[in-house]
Amino acid sequence: MRKLLEIALGILTAIGGFVDIGDLVASTETGARFGLGLAWVLVVGVLGIMIYAEMAGRVASTSGRAVFDLVRERLGAGVGLLNLAASFFITLLTLAAEIGGVALSLQLATSVNYLLFVPIVGFLVWLVCWRVRFEVMDNAVGLLGLALIVVAVAVWRAHPDWGAMWHSATHPAVPATESHLAYWYFAIALLGSAMTPYEVLFFSSGAVEQRWTRSDLLVNRLNVYIGFPLGGLLALALMVVAALVLEPRGIDPSHLSQAALPTSLVLGKLGLALALVGFFACTSGAALETALSCGYSLAQYFGWPWGKLLKPAQAPRFQLVVLASITLGAGLVLTTLDPIQLTEYAIVLSAAALPLTYLPLLIVANDPAYLGDKVNSRLSNAIASVYLVVLVVASVATIPLMILSKAGGS
Amino acid sequence: MSGAPLHPRARQGRLAVGLGLVVLVAAAGCTGLVRSDPVYVSKAATTAAAAASAVETAQLAVQEAAAGKLSGPSLAQTLAEAASDAGAIQATFDAIQPPDRRAEVLRGQLDRLLTPAASVLADLRISARWGDTAALPRLAAPLPKLAEELQRFQEAHQ
Repeated sequence: MRKLLEIALGILTAIGGFVDIGDLVASTETGARFGLGLAWVLVVGVLGIMIYAEMAGRVASTSGRAVFDLVRERLGAGVGLLNLAASFFITLLTLAAEIGGVALSLQLATSVNYLLFVPIVGFLVWLVCWRVRFEVMDNAVGLLGLALIVVAVAVWRAHPDWGAMWHSATHPAVPATESHLAYWYFAIALLGSAMTPYEVLFFSSGAVEQRWTRSDLLVNRLNVYIGFPLGGLLALALMVVAALVLEPRGIDPSHLSQAALPTSLVLGKLGLALALVGFFACTSGAALETALSCGYSLAQYFGWPWGKLLKPAQAPRFQLVVLASITLGAGLVLTTLDPIQLTEYAIVLSAAALPLTYLPLLIVANDPAYLGDKVNSRLSNAIASVYLVVLVVASVATIPLMILSKAGGS
Repeated sequence: MSGAPLHPRARQGRLAVGLGLVVLVAAAGCTGLVRSDPVYVSKAATTAAAAASAVETAQLAVQEAAAGKLSGPSLAQTLAEAASDAGAIQATFDAIQPPDRRAEVLRGQLDRLLTPAASVLADLRISARWGDTAALPRLAAPLPKLAEELQRFQEAHQ
């Protein structure tokens, strides 16, 4: 019974914790500009993160060590450093975007300028990272994030033409008002938002924090194979509701407030309140995850003691990196850099860095010295390799597309 | 990464590539110089579309507020952002030097739509901040026509 409860809780938190500021921005923007013409990318992205997250969870459960730790040992300090540099920079940028997202959610609820909230949010993120137990933190924000289900309810209550929506999603086309360059630029942004490097890093480190062993492989699989696709459905709901309400009006969203308008139009103030709770929960959950991920990645690379299982005094450098990352992230938002634009750049640059995160993971997951009989199957290697090719193509195309499409503006 | 010390030329080369990338990324979001009429026309069409988006956002927010579906803080925030966007969109477009007389005429045409749009959105923002939601539908009355004209302008010059 206890195992069942643990599995159910894991799945629920995986659903509630799936969406972050990148998904909020990318799904709403693509829905408003391309309708459901990019829904296929979301499906590709969710499948990709499922494959690699399962791998990361399996590596951690079987070896008792997190991915970065093994990457450095297996591939050497040089490759490990490349892996670290790519994911640390993107994760730090994402942390800044998430802190901005939390502040923007609070601004929408109170009408008080978001910059006033940034230091408070930064302090609270640090306090939770410092004091609150891992399970409590993970479960609380994950469960609160379930408030975003209200967006799926809004889709259902909007009584859309399901047949037309299915046709639009399965026959993707570039709208007459958009260029092919912008279409592919946003396709890559959407892929980057679904497969952000910190998700795998946090998932594997979290497995070590929760002391997963081989007996938890089923929990790992159920979390990933049930929780992630259902979480992905929330991102899809954001895209659909934007396609239903914003696209026909020609609204190109550039603020979080515009992402909330479709839900309030359909469900009124209660819907709006729940959407804002959902925005707040998913951005604050992701802010905690990215802050810890900054600490995890550096500490695991340099071999420092790390994690929330240890008292702060036992892992001082890990805690210091977490604190410094939060300070840097909050500082970046306080420069008045638009958090939504910051998010757009974070997810696009994340797409450019994806192979550097996922290739080492694939190599480690095939090493019997760490995983014994739990190495990747042929099928999982085949799928992961196809994904790697896709990620390399996306990575190479990112910067040229960014320039040619004027960051999706043309 | 071999860990071996890099030759100074190789180091300079890497630095140049890095700096080049940073400049390219920064340039991706910038407004470029306009030297030809077609580019100016295209920028005018993009500007009209962006302004129409701000106008439609405000219209939707007012419609929701009138139906009691949007809370005061969210309404005030949405309208403030729409007004700020409209002002910024106009300022950015007006900062571009028209390359010839024809472009100057086009600029005048678009400004005749952008100025009232920015003005109406500013009025809506002020009213919402004062909590005078009853006045919003009256103030927003010109928005549907403005949105339509901006849309038409964009389609004509796309």
